[in-house]
Amino acid sequence: MNDPRASRLVEAALRCYPARWRRRHADEAAELATLLIRDGTPARSIAWSYLVGAAREWLTPRPGRRLSAVACALLVAVCSLGVSVALLASTQPARAVVSPSRPPAPAHCPPRSASHAADAVPATGHPQPVNRGPGHVRPC
Amino acid sequence: MGKRDDGAGQDILRRVGEASVLILISLADGPKHGYALIQDIKELAGVELGPGTLYGALDRLERLALIESLPAEDRRHPYRITAPGAAALRVHLDSLERVSAAGRLRLQLGGI
Repeated sequence: MNDPRASRLVEAALRCYPARWRRRHADEAAELATLLIRDGTPARSIAWSYLVGAAREWLTPRPGRRLSAVACALLVAVCSLGVSVALLASTQPARAVVSPSRPPAPAHCPPRSASHAADAVPATGHPQPVNRGPGHVRPC
Repeated sequence: MGKRDDGAGQDILRRVGEASVLILISLADGPKHGYALIQDIKELAGVELGPGTLYGALDRLERLALIESLPAEDRRHPYRITAPGAAALRVHLDSLERVSAAGRLRLQLGGI
């Protein structure tokens, strides 16, 4: 591979394979990548193909590899995904502060006070019917 | 769809995937290394195998003893189809031929 970036990319992808696979195929795979890049195949697509192949290689049960190892690999993958989702979700409260769920009061409403809030419950203690006819304006 | 044993031997290639079958077909006329396999399959079937897919399929076929690796030439390992590999390929191609013939016949009968 003449382009050092392409070379590094493919080598990084090849390092993702299990050691047993690398001992057997790494040299040949690097040579094959060189030939494919020379033919005009993008290094990124070659690296991606090797990455997918490496994932498959790790997840395929082998006689020498116990099922627990495969389960561990799966667990690590799921945990990584969970951490990513948690990181994405952690931005949600910040947005919530900027735009609170309760919309601002209409312009005709006077400012609220503590006593006003206490008066909000009807004196009778019974639910009051709400009339939402045409021209309804949201109550304060 | 249930398994079908047609009497001519079980079609073990039914579950190995298209890439493996194409590799066996490519190796049927003589040993080839990875790059030659990719080029030949592209020419033969118009399918561009990714190198990761290729090595996955080669490993699977080797584990099933359908192909074998020959001593390396430079950094390249040529692969050769084994006798069981050739037999399995024959069974698979026969099966495909029967399905293909049935499909053509039904198209004809259906007048489509």
